[in-house]
Amino acid sequence: MTTEIQNSNPTILSDADLPTRLRPAEAAKSRAYGSGLFASTLSFPGDSVDPASQYLSAESESEGDDLLEEPIDEQEIYDLISTISDPEHPISLGALAVVSLPDILIKPTLTNVPDSPLRTVTVLITPTITHCSLATVIGLGVRVRLEQSLPPRFRMDVRIKEGTHSTADEVNKQLADKERVAAALENGTLMGVIAKMLETCQ
Amino acid sequence: MSALQTFLLVADHDKQEAKQIAERIAHDVENKKTTLIEVVQSLGEYINDEDPILRGKAVSYLTAVIKALPPKFLTRQQIQVLTTFFCDRIEDGGAVAGLETLQKLDRFNKALAEEVAQAIFGRFQELQSRSQSQRFQVYQLLNELMLNHRDALHEMGDESLVGIVDLMTGEKDPRNLMLVFSILKVVMVEWDISNHVEVLFDSVYNYFPITFRPPPNDPYGITAQDLKDRLQDCIASNSQFAPHSVPSLLDKLDSTSPNVKKDALNALIACIHSYNADAVSTYSITIWDALKFEILNAQEEFLSELSLQVLRDIAARLSEGVTEISDQLPLAQYLRPITKECNDQLREPQQKQAKPAQQILSSTSAASAVSFTLVVRTMVAPLLTFYQEADGIAKQRALLETLVVLFDSAIKVFGEWKSPDPEPTMENPLLEFKDQFSEIFGQALMGVIKEEVSFRTSALKGLLRLSTLRNYFQDNEIGLFVQYLDEIILKEESVGRDDLKKEAISALAVISKHTPRLIMDITFPAFVATLPETDDGNGPNYITTLESLAQISIEKDIFETLVRRLLSKLTILLQKEQPGSAEYPRALLLTILYVMNQREMSKDPNLELYYDRIVVNLCRSAAETASGKATNSILADATVLDILGRLSNLIVRSLPRSKQDEVAENIYTLFASAEVFSPVPFAPSTSDSHQRTMILSTYLLAGLPADTAKLPHTHPNMSALLSDITTRSITSSESGDPATHLAFLRHSALLVNKFLPKTDLNVATDAVFTLLHQITSEEQTPHTTGTIKTAFWLTKALVLRLAPKTTDLLTSLCSLLSSPSPQTSTTASRSFSILLSDDDILSPTNGATIRLLSKQRVFTTLVPLISTRIRDVNITNNTTTNQKANPDHIKPAHLTALSGLLSTISPKLVTPELPTLLPLLLQSLDLRNPDADSLAVRAATLETLAVIIRDNGVSVIEECGHVQSLVTRLLQTTTTGNNNSPRLRADAVKCLALLAVGQHSHADAPAVARAGKLSPLLPVKNQVLRALRFVLDDPKRDVRKAAVDARAAWLRGVDDAPEEED
Repeated sequence: MTTEIQNSNPTILSDADLPTRLRPAEAAKSRAYGSGLFASTLSFPGDSVDPASQYLSAESESEGDDLLEEPIDEQEIYDLISTISDPEHPISLGALAVVSLPDILIKPTLTNVPDSPLRTVTVLITPTITHCSLATVIGLGVRVRLEQSLPPRFRMDVRIKEGTHSTADEVNKQLADKERVAAALENGTLMGVIAKMLETCQ
Repeated sequence: MSALQTFLLVADHDKQEAKQIAERIAHDVENKKTTLIEVVQSLGEYINDEDPILRGKAVSYLTAVIKALPPKFLTRQQIQVLTTFFCDRIEDGGAVAGLETLQKLDRFNKALAEEVAQAIFGRFQELQSRSQSQRFQVYQLLNELMLNHRDALHEMGDESLVGIVDLMTGEKDPRNLMLVFSILKVVMVEWDISNHVEVLFDSVYNYFPITFRPPPNDPYGITAQDLKDRLQDCIASNSQFAPHSVPSLLDKLDSTSPNVKKDALNALIACIHSYNADAVSTYSITIWDALKFEILNAQEEFLSELSLQVLRDIAARLSEGVTEISDQLPLAQYLRPITKECNDQLREPQQKQAKPAQQILSSTSAASAVSFTLVVRTMVAPLLTFYQEADGIAKQRALLETLVVLFDSAIKVFGEWKSPDPEPTMENPLLEFKDQFSEIFGQALMGVIKEEVSFRTSALKGLLRLSTLRNYFQDNEIGLFVQYLDEIILKEESVGRDDLKKEAISALAVISKHTPRLIMDITFPAFVATLPETDDGNGPNYITTLESLAQISIEKDIFETLVRRLLSKLTILLQKEQPGSAEYPRALLLTILYVMNQREMSKDPNLELYYDRIVVNLCRSAAETASGKATNSILADATVLDILGRLSNLIVRSLPRSKQDEVAENIYTLFASAEVFSPVPFAPSTSDSHQRTMILSTYLLAGLPADTAKLPHTHPNMSALLSDITTRSITSSESGDPATHLAFLRHSALLVNKFLPKTDLNVATDAVFTLLHQITSEEQTPHTTGTIKTAFWLTKALVLRLAPKTTDLLTSLCSLLSSPSPQTSTTASRSFSILLSDDDILSPTNGATIRLLSKQRVFTTLVPLISTRIRDVNITNNTTTNQKANPDHIKPAHLTALSGLLSTISPKLVTPELPTLLPLLLQSLDLRNPDADSLAVRAATLETLAVIIRDNGVSVIEECGHVQSLVTRLLQTTTTGNNNSPRLRADAVKCLALLAVGQHSHADAPAVARAGKLSPLLPVKNQVLRALRFVLDDPKRDVRKAAVDARAAWLRGVDDAPEEED
């Protein structure tokens, strides 16, 4: 690995401007007691003042929401990979705009079999500079993270976004080649770098 | 055999004996039985012996004798002779100790000290080659000379300087170095070192950086930090070192070890603090050039922080004594390249290095008023230009944030509105930009589209800083800002998470502390105007307004107005025939309660007014409502009564004693006359709304001091009252509403816990046993549930004060779990959480009697009982086929009871009982029934397990031998079958993650301790990873998220083989 920093001063997006999921639960809660300010005044919110009544509330809670399914969507994929750190800087791929929400796609793998649960996730990577030799490492990092975090019915397709890298084809070929990916992951140094990148994922 | 010969024989193996011999001789000398000359002469044949060990012992003999003599015994002449003698033989063992004894004597003089020093320096080579402990003696002698005869050494000048350096060269022992460094520091500070600067500097700098690691069981307890501190003191001790120290320390920044860099930066900081300003100035720019890289390309955050501190400290040192600002100041010259660099970086404020540039500006500008002025003069104008030319909001935002950083420095330098410290005499350089700032920030806050939340938030923060900065904004300018905030809160639609509104409210809260007037004049009327007359069904908009009001009304004047306005709203509501829902009056009371909770009510001058208007008037109105004599039924609503009760409780607690007595007399009458309202206790009527007033009575009772004498119905004792209340609490469990029932339960518990005299405790204990008797003897009465709950509450009251018979009571409650009736058993099992749970009324704040050990007592009494019973059930179920011996409900009931207990006590109590508890917890996870009880039990169990694992790591579970069974059960709980609710699944996955994380933190243990020891999780690693892969496809997002984290933790934390330490 080269120790020289290739892009020492990349542009950074502010955390507040990154896409996040607005939780419906939070929105709902803010109705009864406002933002919950007053709820803190009462140690027991609402009428569950009787400690023994927790059994009743547990019962009612478990009914409604449980049936609602929350499928894996693009934002969830984004949340998985945007917290990976760049190998050069202690900054997340999301803040560096290396990965972005519009560049993540989830499609059925078999378009002619509508019931198939198989899905393909496509992630397009935008390197911070066009000649960045670390693009492959970043791609590998994203791949490893997805493989560790998605169920077996998902296929990964990690590529460099068109027109953002001088040797995009080369890199893409490497990222798409299962054998080469597997071989790369046997490499201790490389895995060390990737493990460090994934350390910041929460 | 002579004394000397005996001494020589025993000296090696019996120190005590040797000492006694010497003491005897010393005694003889003192009593003139022998003379010192004779003692010396007796050494004759040995001190010229060829064997150095023998010579050493002989000299030690003399030393020991001298040591044993009284301090004033030796004459000046004798001291002189002895000193010369020892100096001559300094290389013999014992001589150094002898000299050390001599130099302590009053008659030892300067000339002798010099002689000793010369002797040491003269033979330094021989002394260096001695053992570590003997070298220590030499350094100690030198150190003593430094303490007692520093003049003599000082007058020796260069001779002593060079001598000391020669002597210590090559020293490696940490204990000796500690001494050496402190001796050298004296030389560095007090001697004229100009001829030997480099020699002296090198003598200590050779030891930098210190890489010492104390051996295990080090008897001297010297740490690396001790050495570092002393070494650093030496390096920083003299400004003449600067030409050597600064470049050498900066060189060390090239090191690859962050720790070396840290030591270098710390040493640099020490130098900057103690070198004179000229030296600091000479090297200031060199230092900046070197540190620039550390900050802009920070590798470790702590290094960048230290580097920033260096920059700040230099600026602070260079500001000392500066009263007039000019470009020729050393400070100005130092800051010039810094501001230039920051200027360059901030041209592209979104790029990575803009952030460190901001930090540089922040630390240098906060160093002093002069420094701040210089930075502002060079930076603000270009920043404003960048802002005008910026081609996007994100860029502008970054620039606003840079300005906010400068405002923060301004607050540090010039203070806030009410800072107690005097204001700097210098004028705030930001004043000339005031209009520009108002315009830019105001425009950014109010003049862009609403969705630019983060941009507007930055603008808001800037304006808030300027509003709190001392003597900056005028009231009308802050007023304008307040109007902006009001507009944001009241008029704007919600966007996303409403971050801007939240910021706006906290900004108003800050301003309300500085300038309450503005809030009263502008914000308050605007907010109150939006409150409706009644709940018009337009949704709870008023809640948001009330919340905002609550947060800005903590200051005394505003609070007073708030209470007045809200109470008059409430009064109007109470007189209406169609008052709408009870939510609104409750929210009004809740607002007052919230603010009162934030304030110290006992110091409020208006307390008695609040007492009259809230406690007396509203309670009376509630009594009237209960008797059907009010216009509407707002005060018959249980939730409104609850809030009113809390409010009254808060006020009653702070009242003076005379008023509290008045409250005591009116606890049940609620300040109403007898014609209007008849008190609940002993009343024949039992209408729901009538009984509901007990909510108020209970809160009032809780607020009274324990020694109140005026409580009604308590003479000769309170057994009649107690029995009436318990009867009502039993019957109200089925018929009345839950709030009333709870009020009765709490009321009886309060009476027993707080007001029942010790001598009458049997009244309560008997009552519990009577109730328990009823439960077990009677078959299925309609009141079983109420009776059980009442029994538990009374027991709670008794065990919290650790009444006698606590164990009996608990054992009886526990036996309810084995009742043949499933209903009794289940109700009892659920009630165990009552015993130790914190209660709002039976609380320390309300003066309840809660003994420190009560929780522990209950827990250690009940756990063995439950555990034994479950084991019995398991055994009989395995051996007999007769299921009737132990009906199915018994085991779950015990587990439920246990989980109820666990959820109410601190994990610290749980850990020691772990070996008993863990099997029970695992069995709890096996409960699969779809009913609510088993869900709640499993949820509570997972919570307990999570705490246990987090606090103790996997090792405690390994010690109990349950890793495999725990992991298997957790994995079973993560699947979507088995009636696992999403919350259970997520909690189980989180427990799994904690296992791996916990064991990861154990990796910090010394490598020796875990070498060759494989993780206890390794055998189950594959099983866990495989099972979690399917959890990744859980229908619920929270569960998937937890699974992702857990898998990452297992992949990262559980190593296949222990890795090599680097």
